[in-house]
Amino acid sequence: MKVLIVEDEKMLAYEMEAFLKKNFYVCDLAHSFKSGIAQLDTNRYDFVLIDLSLPDGDGLEVLKYAKKANPEAAYIIITARTHLKDRVSGLDLGADDYLAKPFYLLELQSRMQAISRRKFNIKEELISIGDFQVDLQKRLVLCGGESIELSRKEFDLLSYLLLHKNRVLTRAQLSEHIWGTFVNDDYDSNYIDAHIKNIRKKLNSSANTTWLETVRGVGYRINK
Amino acid sequence: MKLSAKLTLFITGSKLVIALVFVTALPILVKEIASNYTNYTLKQQRKKILTIVKKNGLDYYLQGEQNYGSYTLLKEEFIAFLQVDSKLKLDTIKNSQRLIEGDTLNYRVLSYTFSNNHKNYLLEVGKTTTSIDQYNKALQRFALYGLVMLIVLTALIDLIFIRTMIKPLATIIRARLSQKQFPFLLKQKPVKTSTTDFKYLDESLTSLLSQINEAFFKEREFTSNASHELMTPISILQNKMENFLAEEGLDEKQAISVVEMMKTVDRLKKITSSLLLISRIENEQYVKKEQVKPLQLFEEILDDLKYRLEEKNISLSMSISKDDLILDVNRDLMFQLFFNLVHNAIKFNTQNGSISIEGSKMRDGRYQIQIHDSGIGIPEADLPFIFDRFMKTNLNSQVGYGLGLAIVKSITTYHHIELSVDSELDKGTTFTLVFS
Repeated sequence: MKVLIVEDEKMLAYEMEAFLKKNFYVCDLAHSFKSGIAQLDTNRYDFVLIDLSLPDGDGLEVLKYAKKANPEAAYIIITARTHLKDRVSGLDLGADDYLAKPFYLLELQSRMQAISRRKFNIKEELISIGDFQVDLQKRLVLCGGESIELSRKEFDLLSYLLLHKNRVLTRAQLSEHIWGTFVNDDYDSNYIDAHIKNIRKKLNSSANTTWLETVRGVGYRINK
Repeated sequence: MKLSAKLTLFITGSKLVIALVFVTALPILVKEIASNYTNYTLKQQRKKILTIVKKNGLDYYLQGEQNYGSYTLLKEEFIAFLQVDSKLKLDTIKNSQRLIEGDTLNYRVLSYTFSNNHKNYLLEVGKTTTSIDQYNKALQRFALYGLVMLIVLTALIDLIFIRTMIKPLATIIRARLSQKQFPFLLKQKPVKTSTTDFKYLDESLTSLLSQINEAFFKEREFTSNASHELMTPISILQNKMENFLAEEGLDEKQAISVVEMMKTVDRLKKITSSLLLISRIENEQYVKKEQVKPLQLFEEILDDLKYRLEEKNISLSMSISKDDLILDVNRDLMFQLFFNLVHNAIKFNTQNGSISIEGSKMRDGRYQIQIHDSGIGIPEADLPFIFDRFMKTNLNSQVGYGLGLAIVKSITTYHHIELSVDSELDKGTTFTLVFS
């Protein structure tokens, strides 16, 4: 998969590039409006990540141009400008998603995966883990045909871990995913731990959950 | 009391006092003036008589007699010449009694001795004191009536004049100061007045208010810009650490310290986004056109926070009708508002405590929501400050940097929701929201 990152903050662009490369994406970087347009003229991309505030032009213009030059790509707007109208006009112009800075790269990857699933119409199979099956679309956790009731946030948490299996997710990464941009200044809260505890309790009554591992001091991981 | 009334009252009062003093002092004054005038007349008469004596000789009066006396028809005045002992020397004017034809009368008497033909004579010129005092009472009464009328008249004129003169002040107060909410509107024209003090006052107020406005907008702008500017470096830090953590070959100790750093950055991020949220609300970047069912929002919030209620074993009672509806609000902000209040009610609650959430119609028809907790309460001294940014109350380690309530305040202000708080230490706190 080929990704174009249009981001004038070079440091940030490099971090995004490093992360995406590790996850087997091929990246091109553009640090200005002009170079972004130039890249779009010469290459085809699967993903275009666009920062709205560029030194020599508006990111929304890049989006407009890219939609013509490379209509089959997926577009994600990345910005520190969190005005609602930017978000609306971005989505109106055909952006597939919108991420407010600062975001976790993991969240970016999840959004990209979700777009891919949507774009390529990948039918969600039941994901099985241990003795459980998780239906992401119907938001169900099944064990031996019986469904186990999880709260909204608990299900979000479990599916996020599942989509990033074999990888340690920190509490901050998890909480950003389940809370999004919602402002909650409760920094030291252990609510991720509380949710995990609840998930374990609810699932354990059906089968064991040794696959859901606590990584001491770091976070949680689903091993498969 | 209004300034114009005060001024009129004061002026009228002071006039009255002066008039009363004058009227009371009038008899003494009149007496003094009359006696001075009488003395003067008596002296004039003496002068006249002595001139006649000098010209025509004393015998002109005495006609060969030793003494001479003469008085007017009603005995108001008299003149007398008496031959007296040569040692007696007199030049006085004083009141004394004289017996004239069987009537004892009070006179103002000028006594003067002079020698004539080697004999010593005493001249006495007298005037009755009753004739001096006779106008006193009438004068006093007349002065009293006249003055009272004058006072009433001038007070009325003063009142009218003061009213017109002070009018610009009332206009200034109304136009400049009666508006309490930021930002001040400064579109009004300068207040019309010919009084330089008022002109100065109006100009100063206008300029001060515009300075406050400017500072206010600058602060808003600063918060917004600063938070935006902070977001990019935070992004870089966060993503660098995230990549670093994913690197292979990191041992547990290193991983934990990276996670600790990430936590700190996360905290910075949350503070910054809170500030950004407040500044976005203050800059009115949210559309207030949605309608929300409070029950739905609270159920959603409680679902998210259920684990926290369970942690502290807090009992919850909620009485909000499922038909209750709040109009013309922003749903996300309402969610944030209710969330912060419920979250606080849990955070500052005690083990096995309770929370109640009630929605009701007030007597005046407005809708109100009350969120009550049986928590640790807020000290009275802290109450005025709990909605300030970064205010730390209770000095309790589990207390955050208090942006939660600052957010609550800015959301309620933006939506014109009345917000009040009642709290008793160790008993609990009630937040009341009144929707207009």
